Amino acid sequence: MLLQTKHLSKQFNGIYALRDINFSLEAGEIHGLVGENGAGKSTLIKILTGVYSLEEGEIYWNGAPVKIHTPVESRRVGINVIHQDRVLVPTFTGIENAYLGLPYPTVGWHVNWKEMQRRVQSVAQELGLDLDLNKTAMEMSPPQRTCVEIIRAMVNECKLLILDEPTASLTDKESEILFSLIRKLKAKGTSILYVTHRMDEIFRLTDRITIFKNGEMVETVQTTATDKDDLITKMTDNWTAETQSVDRQMGEELLSVSHLQSRDGIVKDVSFSVHAGEILGIFGLGGSGRTETLECLYGYRSMQGGTVKLFGKPASGLTPSKSIRNGVALISEDRRGKAMIGNLSIRENVSLSCLCRFAKKGVIINKQEKSSVAEMLERLQVKRASDEQRSIELSGGNQQKVVFAKALMTHPRVFLCDEPTQAVDIMTRAEIHRLLREQASQGCAVVFVSSDLKEVMEIADRIQILSGGKTRELLENSGITSQQVLSCCYH
Amino acid sequence: MKGSLSMKSMKKSLQAYGTLLALAVIIVVFSLLRPKAFFTVRNFINISRQISLMVIISIGATLVMSINEFDLSVGSMASLGGVVSALMAVAGLPLPLCFILPIFISLIIGWINGWIVAKFKVLSFITTLGMSTVLSGVIYRLTGGATVFQNIPKGFSWLGTFKIGEIPLLSVIMVLFIILFSFIMRHTVLGRQLYAIGGNEETSKVAGINVALYKNIAFALCAVLSCITGMLIASRVGSANTTAGDGYFLSSYAAVFIGCTVSKKGIPNVLGTLVGCAILGILTNGLTMLQMPTYMQDIITGTIIIFAVIMQKLGKGNTN
Repeated sequence: MLLQTKHLSKQFNGIYALRDINFSLEAGEIHGLVGENGAGKSTLIKILTGVYSLEEGEIYWNGAPVKIHTPVESRRVGINVIHQDRVLVPTFTGIENAYLGLPYPTVGWHVNWKEMQRRVQSVAQELGLDLDLNKTAMEMSPPQRTCVEIIRAMVNECKLLILDEPTASLTDKESEILFSLIRKLKAKGTSILYVTHRMDEIFRLTDRITIFKNGEMVETVQTTATDKDDLITKMTDNWTAETQSVDRQMGEELLSVSHLQSRDGIVKDVSFSVHAGEILGIFGLGGSGRTETLECLYGYRSMQGGTVKLFGKPASGLTPSKSIRNGVALISEDRRGKAMIGNLSIRENVSLSCLCRFAKKGVIINKQEKSSVAEMLERLQVKRASDEQRSIELSGGNQQKVVFAKALMTHPRVFLCDEPTQAVDIMTRAEIHRLLREQASQGCAVVFVSSDLKEVMEIADRIQILSGGKTRELLENSGITSQQVLSCCYH
Repeated sequence: MKGSLSMKSMKKSLQAYGTLLALAVIIVVFSLLRPKAFFTVRNFINISRQISLMVIISIGATLVMSINEFDLSVGSMASLGGVVSALMAVAGLPLPLCFILPIFISLIIGWINGWIVAKFKVLSFITTLGMSTVLSGVIYRLTGGATVFQNIPKGFSWLGTFKIGEIPLLSVIMVLFIILFSFIMRHTVLGRQLYAIGGNEETSKVAGINVALYKNIAFALCAVLSCITGMLIASRVGSANTTAGDGYFLSSYAAVFIGCTVSKKGIPNVLGTLVGCAILGILTNGLTMLQMPTYMQDIITGTIIIFAVIMQKLGKGNTN
């Protein structure tokens, strides 16, 4: 047994985030860790990697008790973690990044760059990775950055690699590369702790699965001895399968785009239209310009060519504030970066886009603001201590609900959703799907972008394929298979 | 376990009320050491006048810091305001004009600061440092480096020296500014948008806030408040020194940093800034009474500033 925890507990302000965890991990296995947001997965990871100090319980490493107090100690033991938000120094090359936090090899007084390069390259070769490590991290694509992180872990004699939602910002093809890498690591004898919300990945990769619920460990099961429904029932207290509404009534065309081009050249030629009552899925691989397309339509990113029609009328000179007035809302993919202000209260976040509605001559009428916001938060069932709580303190799913609340406050008729269920628990995901379907049935149009093909196929009425900044096939979402969709993406 | 819990809650309340506690401790200590001179109504009125100028300029710094920017030109802006206003008075222009025209000038200069920062996305630190140097040059061109004091009409000193009964007009002006800007920051769209921009500029843009415009407004208001401070300094002493505002620059930011520690969210706020000014002002007042040499006062004030910055960081932490 490589790692074992005995009666591990962790509490914050008297509330248990983890309670009595007896978890074990074999050498050379891929171990899945699942649970809703707030189940305690991240807390466990942070204890294992020395971010949180251990107060109750013991950790055994290869049968002997270990104390892990700092991230450095954790790395020294042989534990490395790769987070969903990649942490590399943007201006450093792949090689320098691979050596972050490690002692540089030296000759006399100066750094031996050649030796560094040699060691990093040899690790890369061993893993069968073919990428230019002399590029800086900011020049690399998201999967390349993940590779650099894995190399970084392996340079350091890694025995346990923890992957926290590693495919969150990867497309399916990029994920495949990661999966084959994970299998190679396993073959080398490295244990993997794989944390994700994505069920198919869990079943494809793992040997065993541990389920967490409300800070407690439910059980560890053999992957072959379980299935999706079984896992989900173990993870959640109550869960009802999503129902697909059958009657789709498409109304008038609310948004149509033709030959859209962005100034930065990422969006090259995008044309599509969405109708009232419709959820249009946009699917494409990484770098296909999904996010950029939505940002252009919203007026956040500069357009260079093409026309946008809203409610049948041409719309030009788009800016975010104009879009909001036009009834267009953007749910940005980058929650912390573009959709939420962590240090402001939930109330201040929700009313951000429609402050003027609560103001007379620039003075905010607190009562009106408070009651409207509270009503919206109730409607979306945001779990919170109070409306004045800082939004950063909420769980991921509830943060995303706050983002939706903010959008709904402006009464939009067109929703531009970019990965709206990213890193969100299963319950919230279903609620968001239901909400969007409900909005559509009330006459709104929804553009739904996700890198998770299954999700797009679950929710969209039609699927627009995007590839290399250009729109390709438009597929009716009935009776199509994922292979059919994917085959459209690879040209 | 119970012990660690109460330790934690103690730590939390120390973070929230530590600064106010420090203010209280300072007052108590000075009162014990100089009971007859320090803890008197007269001295507190005196202190309110002493800190009034710093409070006004610090409110400006609070606005700029609320959008997560810096304005290093507050000191020279104040000096310029005083000089221009005094020169106009010497030239015999009507006094109201002498106090109003500089405000317009500062508004434009502040707007330029904000425009450069927002438009070219450059560091406000460098931009305003450059502007500060430009303003110093302009002051030298206007005065030749000499203090403006000859032929200043008597009425010029009215604003800085008038008293309503026992209470200096300056203290009243300070209170008015505190009320006005505290209200703006807490209860108006402007204040909320400034905090939003300071919290996350990109999110604010996506939310439809005209970030560039509000940055211009913050810098412009900051310059106006600096200019007003400068004119009041000149009016108080009856002359305009070319570097009169310089000393206010560091202490104004110190006050804002101390003020951040008073807020639960660790963000700049007007009332906190007032507390910051009060701590610095009372220290100066008390230490002078104790006949502490100036260099000791510098050492103590500097230490407090560094301490406040650390406290502000600690208070803001725990965002993960």
